[in-house]
Amino acid sequence: MNFIDRLTTINRKIIYLVLAIVIVIPLIFPSPQKVRVMAPVEKLFNAVDTIHEDKALIINFEYDPQSQPEVEPMGLAVLRHAFKRRIKVLVMSLYVQPLGLAKSALDQVVGEINAESKSNPDSIIYGRDFVFLGWQPGFYIPILGMGESITNVYKTDYYGNKTDTLTLMKQTKNYNNVELLVSLAVSDIPIYWVAYAQNRFGLQVGAGVTAVSAGDFYPYYQSGQFTGLMVGMKGGAEYEELLATRLNIHKRRKAGETLSSITFAHLTIILLIVIGNVGFFIKRRKR
Amino acid sequence: MKRTLPLILLMIFGGFGILPFFIPHPKIQNIDSFLRNDLLLILYAFALVLGLGSLLHVHVNKIKHRGQNWQYSWILIVTFIVCSIIGLFGGVSGTGPLPTRIGNFPFDIQTIYLRVEVPLGSTMFALLAFFMASAAYRAFRARSTEATLLLTAAFFVMIGILPLGDKISHHLPSFAQWIMDLPLVAGQRGIIFGIALGALATELKIILGIERSWLGGVE
Repeated sequence: MNFIDRLTTINRKIIYLVLAIVIVIPLIFPSPQKVRVMAPVEKLFNAVDTIHEDKALIINFEYDPQSQPEVEPMGLAVLRHAFKRRIKVLVMSLYVQPLGLAKSALDQVVGEINAESKSNPDSIIYGRDFVFLGWQPGFYIPILGMGESITNVYKTDYYGNKTDTLTLMKQTKNYNNVELLVSLAVSDIPIYWVAYAQNRFGLQVGAGVTAVSAGDFYPYYQSGQFTGLMVGMKGGAEYEELLATRLNIHKRRKAGETLSSITFAHLTIILLIVIGNVGFFIKRRKR
Repeated sequence: MKRTLPLILLMIFGGFGILPFFIPHPKIQNIDSFLRNDLLLILYAFALVLGLGSLLHVHVNKIKHRGQNWQYSWILIVTFIVCSIIGLFGGVSGTGPLPTRIGNFPFDIQTIYLRVEVPLGSTMFALLAFFMASAAYRAFRARSTEATLLLTAAFFVMIGILPLGDKISHHLPSFAQWIMDLPLVAGQRGIIFGIALGALATELKIILGIERSWLGGVE
């Protein structure tokens, strides 16, 4: 086998090994990278930042364990932002799988803030500052139903409490009391929020999505139907950057830490494609 | 009658799915609210039970008939039963009547989810990067002008979205964003319009009873 043949037939095990090395080493020695914040993320940040105090923010957790590493940093960042600004938050999912991850993210961020708070008003209190609504079947039924009455759709919250007894839910009847919804999703759920909640009730919708599905969501961002858009690890890292620079929140930057890994992985893939194409063209010319 | 009744039901309920978006009259809105918040929720609950029953039925049959990889069906059935008992009686975080902790070892449903399902799911998805790299190396060839354009755009986006792109040139991230904002959106919007029109036509055909393949059987 000559050199050109070798170029086009690299053993896949070697490819896997090289990729594993370039991904794992930067993860073992993480160093968050400074990123340039692009308009879609900045718009989402500003939309969350300017939520009026009498209005709530709904965070729709719609990612599963498969996409957790990519989307969870966005969820943590939006929660930190909202709680720092003392914005009232409702958390919910339209599928069952994300519930455990939503609870985990909520527990983490609420724990962080309450560990630093010195008094009751400083703390984040369940029922007063946030409510975890949980899940209801039929994903578009809750979307439409919440436009009329949230407590009618979610009669009990995730923990089994009656929602109409919670202070926050007495103030938050339906979408009229909600300024923005941020859907952190791995599927096309954010589009359903636009189709059902925005078109019918005028709810502002923002989204955080995986990089691989970004193409499906850009048309909705460009048309203004999405107030803002976070895409992949980079989107999460940009939001973390804004939290650090504008709100002085310096928690662990999970998305920013992975950018080195992603950079090396992208460079490796580009190099592999170039090698494959060089071999392909030389072979074709010989023929 | 076996075919006519489902068609009539579909026409009525399909119609009521569309009407509330165009007619704000309280009567229509109330019917819509009843259908969604009461009737459909009950149907969904039944569908859930039916789905779980069907899942168990398939795997029990697989074990009975020693189908391909039947041993794995045992894992599903045992996991299903154990998790259902823990979930139903142990509460969300071990707050139910069933004890979900032995010493320092918790096994409530949230712990099982975070310690078993999350790592398994993440591991499965992480493998995708390796397959993508291998597939890109083998299949991504600049065979034509279109493929070359695609390849070039992919390189710009892959580098441009990273901090490295900003270090190479301040214009690179903006150019990558431009690719996402304009050429990508133009193509994607065309596809969305096409799909939407196709879906609308198909839905109308189904609601009006022109398309009946969903009823199953032979026309």
